[in-house]
Amino acid sequence: MTIELLLQQVLNALSLGGTYALLALGLAIVFSMMGLINFAHGEIMSGAGYGLWFVILVGLPFGLGIVAAVVTGLAIAVAMEKIAFRPVRSASPAALLLTSFAVSGIMQVLFQNLISPKGRPVAVPDVLTGSWTLGTLHVGTIQALSIIVTLALLAGLTVFFRRTRMGIAMRAAASDFDVARLMGIRANAVIAAAFGVSGVLAGAAATFWVAQRGSVDPLMGFLPVLKAFIAVIVGGLGRLEGAVAGGFLLGFIEIGLRAFLPDDLVAYREALTLALVILILVLRPRGLMGRARESVR
Amino acid sequence: MKRRHVLGTLAAAAALSQAPLAQAQETIVIGFGGGLTGYLAYYDGLVLNGAQMAVDEINAAGGIAGKYMIDFQVKDVRSEAAAAAVAGNELVAAGAVALISPCDADPAIAFAQPAQAAQIPVIAPCASTPVLFAAVGDYTFQTYTADNLQAAVSAKYARERGYANAYILISPDTPYTEKLPLYFADAFQKMGGALVGQGTYAFGQQDFSAEVTNIKALDPQPDVIMTSAYEPDFPAFIKQLRAAGITTPVIGSDGIDSGTTLALGEIAEGVVFTTGGFPAPGSDLEAFYKAYVARYGGAIETDVAPFAAVAHEAVMTLAKAIEAAGSTEGAAIRDALAAMTDFKGVTGSTVALNTPNNVALRDVALVRVTGGAKEHLGNMQPAAADVPAP
Repeated sequence: MTIELLLQQVLNALSLGGTYALLALGLAIVFSMMGLINFAHGEIMSGAGYGLWFVILVGLPFGLGIVAAVVTGLAIAVAMEKIAFRPVRSASPAALLLTSFAVSGIMQVLFQNLISPKGRPVAVPDVLTGSWTLGTLHVGTIQALSIIVTLALLAGLTVFFRRTRMGIAMRAAASDFDVARLMGIRANAVIAAAFGVSGVLAGAAATFWVAQRGSVDPLMGFLPVLKAFIAVIVGGLGRLEGAVAGGFLLGFIEIGLRAFLPDDLVAYREALTLALVILILVLRPRGLMGRARESVR
Repeated sequence: MKRRHVLGTLAAAAALSQAPLAQAQETIVIGFGGGLTGYLAYYDGLVLNGAQMAVDEINAAGGIAGKYMIDFQVKDVRSEAAAAAVAGNELVAAGAVALISPCDADPAIAFAQPAQAAQIPVIAPCASTPVLFAAVGDYTFQTYTADNLQAAVSAKYARERGYANAYILISPDTPYTEKLPLYFADAFQKMGGALVGQGTYAFGQQDFSAEVTNIKALDPQPDVIMTSAYEPDFPAFIKQLRAAGITTPVIGSDGIDSGTTLALGEIAEGVVFTTGGFPAPGSDLEAFYKAYVARYGGAIETDVAPFAAVAHEAVMTLAKAIEAAGSTEGAAIRDALAAMTDFKGVTGSTVALNTPNNVALRDVALVRVTGGAKEHLGNMQPAAADVPAP
């Protein structure tokens, strides 16, 4: 294994981990606010993918498609909150979870029946399918862009959470929802904002995902969001930084195993990935950045 | 599901009243179980439509041998093995004389087991992994271009092109994505080629950067890369492969016989794949595709696939076997199916079912992506000896 190869794999891991981080962060924001593990997050991503597909289908440029993906993600997430989750907001976590399963199932069937059970091709412009050469390294354009955009989004969100009124309100609500409400923060507004942010992140992730796979199908969002759940848990439920760290860590574990496992063990890497995750949770039951609840209060 | 059933019965009734020559005295049940929802929906939807066309043609002509009208009963197996087992049992209980199975091997096995126990023949017009005979038994027949058949053809093509070293990319997630490249490696090595590497991926993993980096590091470099990955894995893989500057030719299989592959543009240029058939102008298959889109809508290029034609053939094969057997008794139909050597249906290929594992020996189409369109390189029927054992 040469240094170039190693660096190449590090870039690979950053790119994959970045996508997981975007999704995980979206999940964590909503969870920290409502205690809801939103299983329909994947369908926000699929919906955003269909937004991209539609814009290209009607002949508009890819750039507008990206905007459409993000706006669709935002719109679906906010609508989902208003229609499905607001009425059951004060219900038990189990009821919230089941509601999210229902939303997920309904949306999958809608995509399947209204659009197609089969993947819909999305033509990606040639500019995006090439690669950048850095010395001896080849970085796919999409891969490079996904790293850059992920870092930019994370930086932007950091500013949003630290500097803006809404961001600070959301952090307050995330750390203790009831106390935040007592301080005059409006529940509807922060929760809608949380869903909105998660939708935008899912839209961004969907763009990279679709650009890489070249098609959108009704079940597209399931797998990456499943991975993002793992990232959230590893990072520490309820900690936003934890979700990001968990996403990157998962990316590094997956790429590391795929790159360096001997051929006859590669088939077991998903099992090994999960075994490592379990090991982390045994050592740190609240995840990488999770704090014991008592110390928060 | 229910509505289809009612419609089917109505169609049969209408056909009965309109066919004065028909002497039909009996209505027999042919059952179909398919994943009309879930991941198989696209494939089993095509199978259902193709089979339905054949049923309607037979009933409109007065039934099988003018004697048996078909009551075509359809069950959604939701692309799950458990639901497929239930559907198989229900159709057997409904008195079906033969069954058409779902597309993928796992639900097909679950679906066919009750029929095997009841000695009712099952035809799989779409499941391509040649495992039903071993996993279920001698009442199963697979009529699609099986994985080992496709692999024999692509290996022959690769060797004829002078490729000496091959790399295969497999996924243990399904038999199709795992076995087909292994059959290819088997046939390729028997024909004098060498296997220089093998990669493994997981369904929907999306990111192939690690595998691509590994391919780049191979020494010697492969002359050809073979995989049976399909959407969304195949587009993701080939994009990242080409983005890394690797120009090695890629051979795929029928899973990538879809619009998504063509939509990849420049990247997919030169990709060669094997598939169940090609609607060459003037061919039998083209005529069937035209009839299909005339009935179900859509376009020949994007909304039909060989599965529909093979499903049509499957029903016709059953009809011919029932006619030859002169009986609707399971063992008699099975024997008549197993004796078929040169059945010819809407795909235009001869179909032989007198094979060791009841897996059809038939033409495989070779297709190359040229200028964003499918170019037919020809049809090839491998010698029985070149087909790797399942």
